Amino acid sequence: MNAVLPLAVDDSLPPELRDLLNSPEGPAFEHALDTMVRQREQHLFRALGQLARELHDAVRRLGGELAQEGVPGIVADARQHLQDVLEMSANAANRSIDFAERLRPQAESLARNAWDVLQQAEGDEPAAALAREAATFADSCRAGLGDMVVAQSWQDLTGQRIKKVASFIGTVESSLLELVRLTGALAGVEAPVDVAKVTSQEDADRLLSEFGF
Amino acid sequence: MKILVVDDFSTMRRIVRNLLVELGFTNTLIQEADDGENAMIMLRSQPFDLVVTDWNMPNMTGIDLLRAIRAEAALKGLPVLMVTAENNRDQIIAAAQAGVNGYVVKPFTAVTLREKLTKIFERIAASGASA
Repeated sequence: MNAVLPLAVDDSLPPELRDLLNSPEGPAFEHALDTMVRQREQHLFRALGQLARELHDAVRRLGGELAQEGVPGIVADARQHLQDVLEMSANAANRSIDFAERLRPQAESLARNAWDVLQQAEGDEPAAALAREAATFADSCRAGLGDMVVAQSWQDLTGQRIKKVASFIGTVESSLLELVRLTGALAGVEAPVDVAKVTSQEDADRLLSEFGF
Repeated sequence: MKILVVDDFSTMRRIVRNLLVELGFTNTLIQEADDGENAMIMLRSQPFDLVVTDWNMPNMTGIDLLRAIRAEAALKGLPVLMVTAENNRDQIIAAAQAGVNGYVVKPFTAVTLREKLTKIFERIAASGASA
């Protein structure tokens, strides 16, 4: 604002205005000018204030709705939930691969033994029939277990999507914080922390709580 | 034979390792790295015969790893097989232009992996014979 500089000597004013301010009617003119500007400003500020309050309420409502029962309370919770999903799915996939790794050598050994029996047994002996069945079973087990291992790649494919969603949530979080700061400032609540300086979860939580989230 | 498997998901590294064993690479030393940066550190410190890499990884992606390998005199001839969920045209072209030796789209089967690996090893054998 130009409050520090008397209007009459302010170089940035048009010369016609400066002449008027320097004339004998100067003080009266300046008073009238002030009143007019203030009226216009107040109108604008009222409109802005109303807008800011509505926006602030909307953001506050959004925060409230996000905190409903069964829904992650804060964004960090949401991210943690996704991280948990990633870990649980990796554990599940690893368990399946464990089974396959344990059973595959057994299937291979069963196939080998069955073939050994088949070499010695006569074609119509019950042992030969059993050995043939065992060999077929062992082969399909080995193939099936291999397929089961490959099928665990779902964990990688879903995991990549989960990571993308987690990073999207991070973007939404910083946008929301910026919105909270802006609407808070506009609604007349002083922003205590510069959003650019929000680096930790504690900062984020503090900023949100100071705005009533 | 020494193979480096690069993927940020440990599950995927394990799956590829399993497949390689299933495909008969039993006398093969299979090592793992979780991103391109760590892969480059390993590639510079010991000789490998093949790199199997994912595309989408933190710090250094698979395509950047491929370019780094091709840009380094000691490594530029190293065969690189890309195994990735990235399957759009531009990415496949970018990988081809960077000099990839094979491109497998996830999810893949043992048959596909065997096919691509066989092709790569045939080419290595052919170039080794002609050299």
